[in-house]
Amino acid sequence: MNGREVSREVIEACRAGDRDAFRTLYEIHKDRVYSIAFYFFNGNSEAAADVTQQVFLKLMTSISQFRGDADFSTWLYRLVVNTCVDSARKHKPASDGPLETLAAPEDHEGAYARTQTANSVRAAVSTLPPKFRIAVLLRYFDDLSYEQMAEALHCSMGTVASRLSRGHKLLAERLKAMAGGKGKS
Amino acid sequence: MFRFTFAACACMALALADGFTFNIGSPVASQDFQSKTAVFVFRTQGCVEPAKPQVSARAEGIVNGARQSVSLKVVTTAQPNVYAVYQTWPRAGDWIVSLQGTCGDARAGAVVPIGPKGFIRELSKFFPRPATPAEIEASLKTVPPGGNK
Amino acid sequence: MRHVASQLAAHIDGRLAPASSQQIQEHLRTCERCQAEYVEVKQGMEWMDRLPLIEAPASLWTSIEAGLPHHQAPRRIPWAWLATAAAAMFAFAAYWLLAPAKAPTWEVTRTENSTQRISRIAPGQWIETSARSRATIKVGAIGSLDLKPNTRVEVIATQPGEHRVALAHGEIHASISAPPRLFFVDTPSGTAIDLGCEYDLKTAADGSGLLQVSKGWVQFEWNGLESLVPAGASCQIRAHAGPGIPYFDDAPESLKLALDQGALEKILSESRVRDTLSLWHLLSRVDADARGRVFDRIAALTPVPQGVSREQALQLDPDTLKRWREDLAWTW
Repeated sequence: MNGREVSREVIEACRAGDRDAFRTLYEIHKDRVYSIAFYFFNGNSEAAADVTQQVFLKLMTSISQFRGDADFSTWLYRLVVNTCVDSARKHKPASDGPLETLAAPEDHEGAYARTQTANSVRAAVSTLPPKFRIAVLLRYFDDLSYEQMAEALHCSMGTVASRLSRGHKLLAERLKAMAGGKGKS
Repeated sequence: MFRFTFAACACMALALADGFTFNIGSPVASQDFQSKTAVFVFRTQGCVEPAKPQVSARAEGIVNGARQSVSLKVVTTAQPNVYAVYQTWPRAGDWIVSLQGTCGDARAGAVVPIGPKGFIRELSKFFPRPATPAEIEASLKTVPPGGNK
Repeated sequence: MRHVASQLAAHIDGRLAPASSQQIQEHLRTCERCQAEYVEVKQGMEWMDRLPLIEAPASLWTSIEAGLPHHQAPRRIPWAWLATAAAAMFAFAAYWLLAPAKAPTWEVTRTENSTQRISRIAPGQWIETSARSRATIKVGAIGSLDLKPNTRVEVIATQPGEHRVALAHGEIHASISAPPRLFFVDTPSGTAIDLGCEYDLKTAADGSGLLQVSKGWVQFEWNGLESLVPAGASCQIRAHAGPGIPYFDDAPESLKLALDQGALEKILSESRVRDTLSLWHLLSRVDADARGRVFDRIAALTPVPQGVSREQALQLDPDTLKRWREDLAWTW
């Protein structure tokens, strides 16, 4: 059990409507959920907040349906996948809306360069087809097994492997193109 | 002279009876760790049982010359009649928070300017009724430049 | 020849059975096309390592809470935060009991020039940054600790119910999102106890230092001497003597100097209403003669609440002082 997994007691307490237990669960997972949504929507913080809100509201209202036969993380990230994909279908393209560029720190030029790189990677991730984009983000922000990712993504483990291979390859190609073919900076 | 004195005493009696007011503070005043990131907390005072205070808040601002108004969710804290206000309005522009409260027939209001370092206690004003639009506009003019944190 | 492009990510992640992995390895020796794809998939993964975790806005909880079923503004019992802390502690205690005997490790990202290195740190291990490096420690699931250059930190405990580090020297920035009293920083001259906050803590090798709080509030303790430091305030830490009197960062320079020098008359004359933070702490640190004058100055700045008597305050009655502090906090 890692630090992000949730005990059965907390889940039972959430089922009983315990607001404080739900807050605990939220605090454990919020940044990862928000980060996945943030990068899925190319730094659109409004969209990320909207998805995060929907995920946790759905989670609380449907927690009675969590059977406990799959682990909690898989169930949660299935919600994240579904909400990101549904939101992308309903709303405008990711390039609209307020985009939050990662703020470069005022000191230390190394840190500035890293932030610029992160912004480039973020932009490149947003150009990936949604099914590759979500797979790549899920792998990076949570250490789910391929089996768990397959459940969250509603596909086979072979398909997970294939999407991750193609997604990362596309990412490298697009970043090379952004850098003008000069490769990684 | 007698009529003036009587009227003054009556007004004072009314003021004392209607002692329903707001008091603002930084999050530490709430003694509730969940309020740590609130912009400020506030409490109602003088609402006599069995009446329960009803409170609401709006952020009023000017962004790039355009007037904006945002309804705020007032969050209860671990202390009775103590509430937290979180920043859900834009970071750009000049903003104040307008508080309104009722307790039975009594009313209270406040305008709280928000500066680069948080709420500005010294420029906050309190009223025995909701702030008027003119009072809100006047308060907006007192907000120092630099946006809000 | 059957290419292996679709399995490269699983191969790199070590998710394939040994036999399959061996077959792919052998294929890669001779297939230039798959070799090129391997390089690109690996490069894509390395690019992803550049993406930082984004902290969800603090205000998001407010919106979520508003949307929860049957939400209204219930009247909470005064000690509801204890129930929250208890639920979290219970969850962490359950985790602690079920976890393997080995203590959890924390992720560390060390940055030097433009290179990042990620590793893990366990209790009993040190991390030290040089003049050109920084590091970030993910403190379990509750927050993070940024180490500035020239800083040395030892991890003491990584249990869910106690996250504790020791700061030998240097400067850290802590950002913690958890119920109170789960995160502690020991220094040679006392312990900073997180009460839900964000702060900077500097310590020199001799144990002197400075605590500056930007969000929430921190309690700093040493041998029974305590200082409560809210957001916007700082507290000097004296070598092997614990916390000084906290003061607001916008206090007059003359007041800060007077606090440093222990010049009581100047402290009293320069204090504003907000500086009752400093005056309240001063009550228990001056002799009985001076205490009355401190009391009178606080009373002149802001009305003394009901239930706080001068006599009991001068006797340093704990309940009286606590009640007074809770009331004074509304002026800070």
